[in-house]
Amino acid sequence: MCGIHDLTEKDLQPLTYSPAYLNKIKGMRFFDPHVHMTARTTDDYQAMADAGVVAIIEPAFWLGQPRTGVDTFRDYFSSLLGWERFRASQFGIKHYCTIGLNSKEANNEKLAEAVMEILPQFIYKEGVVGVGEIGFDDQTPLEEKYYRAQLELAKEAGLPVQIHTPHRDKKKGTQRSMDIALEHGLEPHMIIVDHNNEETVKEVLDRGFWAAFTIYPFTKMGNERMVAVVKQYGSERIMVNSAADWGISDPLAVPKTAALMHESGIDLNDIHLVTYTNAVKAFAQSGQINEADFDVAANIDQSEKFNGSSILRGGQQPRIDKNTTIIR
Amino acid sequence: MSVAEYVYDQDKVSKLLSTIIRNNGNEKANTWLQQRLQLQQQTGAIPQFNQTFTAIPRFTGKEIIKVSAEENELLQQLLPSFFVHGWTLDRLVRVWWLLQLPVTDKSAYLGVLENLFNAAEMNELAALYSALPLLPWPEEWTGRTSEGIRSNIGIVQEAIMLHNPYPAKYLSEPAWNQLVMKAIFTDKPLHLITGLDERANAALVAILVDFAHERWAAGRTLDPMQWRILVNFVNDDNFADITRIWHSLNSVEKEAAALVCAQCNYAPAKALLATSPELQAETENGRLTWEVLAQKIIK
Repeated sequence: MCGIHDLTEKDLQPLTYSPAYLNKIKGMRFFDPHVHMTARTTDDYQAMADAGVVAIIEPAFWLGQPRTGVDTFRDYFSSLLGWERFRASQFGIKHYCTIGLNSKEANNEKLAEAVMEILPQFIYKEGVVGVGEIGFDDQTPLEEKYYRAQLELAKEAGLPVQIHTPHRDKKKGTQRSMDIALEHGLEPHMIIVDHNNEETVKEVLDRGFWAAFTIYPFTKMGNERMVAVVKQYGSERIMVNSAADWGISDPLAVPKTAALMHESGIDLNDIHLVTYTNAVKAFAQSGQINEADFDVAANIDQSEKFNGSSILRGGQQPRIDKNTTIIR
Repeated sequence: MSVAEYVYDQDKVSKLLSTIIRNNGNEKANTWLQQRLQLQQQTGAIPQFNQTFTAIPRFTGKEIIKVSAEENELLQQLLPSFFVHGWTLDRLVRVWWLLQLPVTDKSAYLGVLENLFNAAEMNELAALYSALPLLPWPEEWTGRTSEGIRSNIGIVQEAIMLHNPYPAKYLSEPAWNQLVMKAIFTDKPLHLITGLDERANAALVAILVDFAHERWAAGRTLDPMQWRILVNFVNDDNFADITRIWHSLNSVEKEAAALVCAQCNYAPAKALLATSPELQAETENGRLTWEVLAQKIIK
C-alpha cells in the first residue's frame, strides 16, 4: 500500500526503461488464463500491466506445502476472490479465478472430502470462470475419484473445466483426462486441457478440446517451440499461458511469446487469437467474463460514487523507480 | 416476521428498497427476485438463501442505481444518514435480500451472517458491510466491523468507512479511532466519514498530532482534512502544530489551519486568524468551508 501519497500523473506513467520486446507488441492486449499471482510480487503486476496484460485467470492449486485442514483451503479460495482480486485491480488488471481441489491434495482423502463439501459455496461466486485446475498428478485412484466428482460439479454449474495434465506419463494422463470428461457427459468445448506439448496437442485438438500451452522454463514449453506449434497447428482453440507461480517462471510469458511470434512472421490475427481471444472465449462460457470490465478493472463503484476524476484512479498504485538506490 | 429486533421501521425500509429495486431492475431480474423471495418464504432453506445472495449480480447486473428525490427523502426519514447513492444495483439487492432473513432465532441468524461473511468475495463483503446500519441486533456487529476495518481491500474499507452511519453510532472509542486512522492511512476522503466531527475525541487528537510529527520527521505530507478533527481540542500543546500549518506554503494546509482557528474556542487561535483578514473573512462568509477544502484535495 502506498499510504498517504500525493499521486501525480507522472507517478502513474510506465517507467521509461522498457525492454526491446515491448516495442514489438505495443498496443496489444493479452489475457493470461493461468497464472498464480498469490505467489508473485507487485513488481510482477506492474510489469504485466505495462506489457499489455489486461486480464488473468488464477486457478486454485496447491501451495508447495501440503495443507492439513479444510480451513486453509477456505481461506485460500476466499483470498482468490477477495484480496488477490483487489491487488490486481490496483494495477488495472481484471482478475478471475477457477476453483477446485488440485490433484496432489486429492490424495489426502479425509481432507479432500472436506474440501468437496465447501466447493459449492465458492464455484457460484462472481468471477469464478471454471472448475480448476483439476485432473491428474500421479494418476492414483483417489485423484480419479475427485477429478470425477468435480467434473460432475462443473457440469451442474455449467462451468468450463481447466484440466491440469500430469508431468509424468503425460500423454496417457492427458488421454485419460479427456476420456473421463467425455464419460461424464461434458462437451469438449467446455474443457481446457492445459500444459500441452508437441506430443499431446494433436489429439486434444482432433477431439475438439481447447489446447492450452504453458510457457514455463525447463519443465514445460519454451516459446520458440510454441512458435513452431502455432505454425504447424494454426490458431484455432489454442491458447498460451504462463502458469507463473513460486517456482522459476515468468509472468510475462504471454506477451514475450506474442513478441516472438510477431518476430517469427506469425500473422497478428493469429497472435491475437492464441494470446487473448481464444482464452476469453473458452472461459466466457461461464457467463462470468465481460470484456468491457477489462477497461474498468479499477472499480466502478468508486469511480461513480465520488463523481470526479479524483476517485477514478482510486486504489491505483504509484510507480517506483527500480533503477535508483534511493527509496522514499 | 417480528420487527422488534430492528431499531428502525424495518418493514417500511424493506418495502422502500424493494420499490427502488423494481424501478431500477429489468423485468427478468425483478421476476427472478420475486421467485427467489417466494421460494425463500415457503422453504426458509438457508442454502437457498446463500445461493441467492451469491447469484444476485448474475440477474440484476451492476448498473449504478437511480434514486428519486422523494425516495431519497423517505429513506432519510426512516434511516437518517443511510446512503445508497452511487450503489450498484446488485449491492442494493443484496442488502435488501438480507432483510428477508427471518429474525425469529437470534443465534441461527447470527450463524447465517457469520457464514456469509466468512465465505464472501470482494463485492459480497462490500454489500455485507454496507448493510450494517440495517441489520437487527446492531450491538452484535461491532466486532465484525472492526474486523472489516482491518481489511486491505479498498471497496470493503469504503463500505464501512464512507457514508455509513453504523460505525459512528456503535463503535467504541478505540475502534472508532482505529477506523479514522486507517481511513487516513488508506487515503480515504475523510469528509465522507459519517460522524467524523461528532466522534472526535481527545485520544484521537493525541494520535493525530503524534502522527503529524512522525510524517513531518520523515519529510512526508499530511491530509489537511485531518486537522478538522482537532476543532474542539485545540490547546496549548497542539497550537504549535496549527501554527505550523498556518505557515505552510501549501495553501490548502493554510486554509485548514484557518478553518480550525475559526471554529475552535482557543483565544490565541483567534488572534492568529486575525493576522489574515482575508482568510478570516472567507471563513465567515462561507466561501471557505471543510467541504470547499475537500474538493481541493486531490485523491
